[in-house]
Amino acid sequence: MTATLDTDVLIIGSGAGGAVTAATLARAGRSVTIVEEGPWVDPDAMEPFSLEEMVAKYRYCGPSAALGRPAIAFAEGRCVGGSTEINSGLYHRLPADLAEEWARTYGIDEFGPDALDRYAARIEDELAVSRLPGAPPTSSAVLERGAAKLGWQAVEFSRVFRYEANGRAVKQTMARTMLPRAMDAGAQIIADCRVSRLVRRASRVTGARCVRELPDGSTEKFMIRAEHVFVCAGATQTPTLLQRSGIRKNIGNGLKMHPTVKLAARFPHPIDHGEVPMYRVTEFAPALTIGGSASRRGHVALALADSGADFTDALANWENVAVYYAAIRSDGGGRVLALPGLRAPLLTYNLTEGDMSRLARALIHLGEVLLASGATELYPSVTGGITARATKDLAQWWDAMTRNRANLMTVHLTSSVRIGEDSTRTGTDSFGRVWGFTNLRVNDASLIPDAPGVNPQGPVMAIAARNSDQFLSQA
Amino acid sequence: MLWFERQVVATLVSPTLDEHTRNAVESYVENTLRSMPEYLRAGVAAESLLFGAWPRVNSALGRLNSEDVTRRIERWQTSRIDPLRQYVRLLQSLVLFAENELAPEAEAV
Repeated sequence: MTATLDTDVLIIGSGAGGAVTAATLARAGRSVTIVEEGPWVDPDAMEPFSLEEMVAKYRYCGPSAALGRPAIAFAEGRCVGGSTEINSGLYHRLPADLAEEWARTYGIDEFGPDALDRYAARIEDELAVSRLPGAPPTSSAVLERGAAKLGWQAVEFSRVFRYEANGRAVKQTMARTMLPRAMDAGAQIIADCRVSRLVRRASRVTGARCVRELPDGSTEKFMIRAEHVFVCAGATQTPTLLQRSGIRKNIGNGLKMHPTVKLAARFPHPIDHGEVPMYRVTEFAPALTIGGSASRRGHVALALADSGADFTDALANWENVAVYYAAIRSDGGGRVLALPGLRAPLLTYNLTEGDMSRLARALIHLGEVLLASGATELYPSVTGGITARATKDLAQWWDAMTRNRANLMTVHLTSSVRIGEDSTRTGTDSFGRVWGFTNLRVNDASLIPDAPGVNPQGPVMAIAARNSDQFLSQA
Repeated sequence: MLWFERQVVATLVSPTLDEHTRNAVESYVENTLRSMPEYLRAGVAAESLLFGAWPRVNSALGRLNSEDVTRRIERWQTSRIDPLRQYVRLLQSLVLFAENELAPEAEAV
């Protein structure tokens, strides 16, 4: 006989959306159980962006790909805390103009900038969102310097980092913040536990079938019965679970992302490699944003190799090389599709011709700002793209950026369910309740109606807090 | 890893790596391939069987040497045929990342 566990609220997924939901509801006195497919990993146990971290905390132990022309590599977390454990910790509120536009387009109630900013302020206070206390590291300063020379706007982004008295910057991941707070308020977390499907009866979800991996490698099946279920498994896994459970109306078919091109920039001086640069060139935002990436030696090697040029000398001098990116808001779209019998969903994404043109322009602007900042060699993530050493070389990247040659990636996936009262285009109502169900909600990046042009963690958390409050006011 | 994947990975790993690091790199590649989404792994496996068919025949006849595999991979890295280029790029990216992260000098980051 299958073991059964009873709870008031079941939250599936422990990332930015799930953790905020759990903390909000547990503090309000609800009985909360969080299940997380991945393991609990001590946030201090591994170096950020290292191979060890990738194996322990990433889904698929590293990048996967959304199929299309070109395929787009993506990465996401699979551990307690979700992608907040592996991202750069950059924080941004949802731009007010996008909130207003989406509220109109999808008929989202109570989605004005004022309401969202109130929740954002609450999150910022809880996570100690802040700016760097001192001067920026070299990897950031070069972006600021290059932008200043070109007369472009560049800003330091806030981060979800707390600065300790000894100067140590500690990223405020969900495993360090919201989840312990939820547990202090009585919530329980079950790690290494995958929900295979939701159990439905008419317009209610009565529970979830779970499979937990035990330390000895064996598995245990059990059932969690719940009065209310929040699916917060992220933009790829939330629609997958819903589809597997027979819930398909507008589920999984609106996937959005920030397609991203990269380049490796070589400087005549050493560059720091410890942190992701916190400066961003926002001259062309939100259509395209320029910033810096993780630049450990492994990342530098990958970025150098992407152009196909000989990079032996540059890699030998890798302390002077760092990786930068340009990300666009895309007109294209994709799908998440649960395949029968397979654990991983199929992801597809189709870029428009306009997207390809924007990506080429983004790559050239990225090259311009880095050359202006003193870079001496630029290796683009375009197979056959020439190594640029002067501004005149950049024009050749226009022709090089084709569907066959572009090597793209993303770390921001959103919009695979969507909120709003326009039920012909959305998977849930204005507060994440799945159409056709009284007690099933989604509360994660899947809800964001479109790619926000900024790191989505802030918007995800603000929307999750808003929806949780609305749930408490109703249930 | 399939037979041809092992050949390609062995060719791509830097010859200067010590045996311990080489084994760690190969183990990482194997683990990553095993962890891929099933449909992607199936695609890569199908390519490995297809692209490795002729080398496999040569190997069975005792006519395959490491220079043949090296030359073949160098050609594929710049091939106009997208699947060939992407196949090598995938394995090369795994090898490159692992050997640069696992190399002793990378520890100093």
